[in-house]
Amino acid sequence: MGPLIPNGIIGGGWDFVIALLIGIAFGFILEAAGFSSSRNLAGVFYGYNFVVLRVFFTALIVAMVGIMYFDCLGWLDLSKIFILPTYLGPMIVGGVIMGFGFILGGYCPGTSFTGLAIGKLDALFFTIGLYLGILVFSVAFPLFEDFYSSGSLGNVTLTDVTGIPASYFALAFTVVALAAFWGTMLIEKRVRKNMKQYKF
Amino acid sequence: MNRNYIFLTLLMLVLAAGTVFLTMDDEPNQVDPEILLQEIIQPTRYVSTDQVAKMIIQGDPSLMLIDVRSEDDFQGYSLPRSVNIPLDSLLTADNLSYLGIPGTKVVFVSDDDIRADQMWVLTKRLGYKGTYVMRGGLNCWMQTIIEPEQPSDDASYADMETYSFRKGAQIYFTGAEEETSDGAKVEVQVQKREKTNVALGGC
Repeated sequence: MGPLIPNGIIGGGWDFVIALLIGIAFGFILEAAGFSSSRNLAGVFYGYNFVVLRVFFTALIVAMVGIMYFDCLGWLDLSKIFILPTYLGPMIVGGVIMGFGFILGGYCPGTSFTGLAIGKLDALFFTIGLYLGILVFSVAFPLFEDFYSSGSLGNVTLTDVTGIPASYFALAFTVVALAAFWGTMLIEKRVRKNMKQYKF
Repeated sequence: MNRNYIFLTLLMLVLAAGTVFLTMDDEPNQVDPEILLQEIIQPTRYVSTDQVAKMIIQGDPSLMLIDVRSEDDFQGYSLPRSVNIPLDSLLTADNLSYLGIPGTKVVFVSDDDIRADQMWVLTKRLGYKGTYVMRGGLNCWMQTIIEPEQPSDDASYADMETYSFRKGAQIYFTGAEEETSDGAKVEVQVQKREKTNVALGGC
């Protein structure tokens, strides 16, 4: 059956409507999970709050295992799903820059908008910086264009690269995620005992 | 609270372990023979050489011409804006990326219908939409666009229209000189009204 638009079940014009609905839902969940507070978010780096890790890991493993069952039941054709092309070097560098910005600013791009939506001043400055960064990137793009498009592996999945079936990765990742849930809960308890309680 | 966490953890583990036993259907989706038959007998999967010529002349951005002949033949003669994908190299990822782009019409061109038809069936089996075959191939292109045959004098208006379009297309594609028709050579005798000195009245 799915994906709905490539299979012609609904028209291509609906993608913006669907994007809007998913965007609203995503923003709502981010805010409800407490992601509009930079202290909550940055806590993951200091060890007093792992809500980011838990929420994203939950979303990830539910979606991952879910689409595998959808594929098996014939509700979703996994071969028609868009896979982001992999650029090994640029992605590692991008990840480091993103993580650095996350610690420094206390937000990631998506959560900065949820912070902005409830009137957080730090989120306002973060988003201003975000747009300045986009501007600088666009203007300076020719300088690092070669690096930007280097190391392309194409639209590959781990299964394509290693030959190990996707379900093994799903199982391994789920075990790691669940271990992380319980592990971080213990760390949180220990760290919070020794610090004054923040109000978020 | 903790009991919920334990329950959800176990549930997630069981579900994830269950994926190992799923039979993943790795076969590419193929068109059902019945549907394929219905599409094969549809005349709409063909486009005429006139339609192709018109789209090339108008610069229709939705047209994607794919020449399925060998590279040598393609170097020898090819339609403008066409891309060469020989039949035997269809299945490479680079070549498949030309297909299945929403809003584009992929038209297969070969010397005749046969190889283009084979290509069409293969792409249908792969599940691509919006692929067509240029009817008659380049042989027909030569006969209709490059050297159009003049219809007889008593041909229908539609035939004459087609012919005049083809003549225009011929000039576009070959740069042939426009033939001036006999009608243009007839001298037109202009009869001027003689001037009269007498005022003809009126205000």
